[in-house]
Amino acid sequence: MRRMTIAALALIGAFVALYLTMYKMGAIGHLACGLGGCERVNTSSWSIFVGAPVAAWGLAFYVVTFLVALAGTSARYAARPELSYLLAAMSFVGVAFSAWLTYLELYVIEAICKYCVSSAVIVTLIFLVSVADVMAHRRTNQTS
Amino acid sequence: MANNNPPRNAKSAAAKPSSQRSVFIGVLIAIVVVGGAAIAYLMKNPSAGEGSATAQAAYDSLQANYKNAGPAKPYVMGNPSAPVVIEEFADFECPVCGNYATVTEPDVRKQIVQAGLAYYKYYDFPLPMHHNTQFASNAAACADEQGKFWEMHDQLYAGQDSWGLNPDGETQVTDNPKPIFVGYANKIGLNAAQFEKCYDSRKYQSRVDANTAEGFKRGVNQTPTFFINGTKMPGALPYDMIKSAVDAAAATAAASAAKPPATK
Repeated sequence: MRRMTIAALALIGAFVALYLTMYKMGAIGHLACGLGGCERVNTSSWSIFVGAPVAAWGLAFYVVTFLVALAGTSARYAARPELSYLLAAMSFVGVAFSAWLTYLELYVIEAICKYCVSSAVIVTLIFLVSVADVMAHRRTNQTS
Repeated sequence: MANNNPPRNAKSAAAKPSSQRSVFIGVLIAIVVVGGAAIAYLMKNPSAGEGSATAQAAYDSLQANYKNAGPAKPYVMGNPSAPVVIEEFADFECPVCGNYATVTEPDVRKQIVQAGLAYYKYYDFPLPMHHNTQFASNAAACADEQGKFWEMHDQLYAGQDSWGLNPDGETQVTDNPKPIFVGYANKIGLNAAQFEKCYDSRKYQSRVDANTAEGFKRGVNQTPTFFINGTKMPGALPYDMIKSAVDAAAATAAASAAKPPATK
């Protein structure tokens, strides 16, 4: 159930990141100078990270998280705690990265992007659910 | 393999996992359908994704600054009786506008405006975060006084890096762009003394404001924004898109001019 929740959240996150990636690539709308908001965030020099748009990194992150969580719901891996640790570790990195991005939005770029914020919320939820998943697996290990 | 369920689920193992799984799959399908539809919708209506209450409030308060501006007076190029009018609202310091002006606009001028397909109008729409853009609009207006707006327009956009934004997109290269603009004035053959006098007195600030007010009146909130025979098309459009919009507008204009009584 928890991994299903993670998979569902990751899929939602993937769509948010897909939208932002398409926006960045020019498939949705066209680049422009706006009066503030998303355009400013997604066209700032901070919107590129290690050679690829931040949004594309987000998309890759959500797709991988979705696949790991989906595998974790299969009968074969359902009882394996390793996937829970992996999901918790991955989403921790995601939360840390999102925290850094939100910091940049608020204090450096001084513009907020609601899609970016919703991605940060989603990754935080994924992290919380994956921690709950880790704890549940620990409990079953101790009782068995 | 089928009996591999964890022991704590053993009691309801027969029914629960499979029904839970179908709910799960249903939820995933719902997310894909809703997400796909949302993205498809945003592709069709790019502006739907923007604009919050705070952005609207900021927009309204900016617009209020231009309440008393006079009638707009755009800079024009081409044949005024061409069937299509392309109107551009742009900011001299906006890098995206600079990209359009240097990469796309030469083709637009040559293939569309000079070919007689459209009349071109340029309106200033200086954005508040660009500190030198008002100066640039003034420089362009002063060049217009001597009949060389477009020459100055091209110099300003091509030279953005030397007077506009730093690569960080936030800070300006210089606090005093005037010497650079005077350099452009000399380069394009303006009377430098007249240009400087005009520039220093901000002689045409009211014209710049009136053009900006026109943009606000039409809901412009980003640059460049185009209107092709009145249809709003925001963003730095590629040439093909402008050409097909001009062709479509020309066809519509021709059809309505001919006014076929009952054919079709």
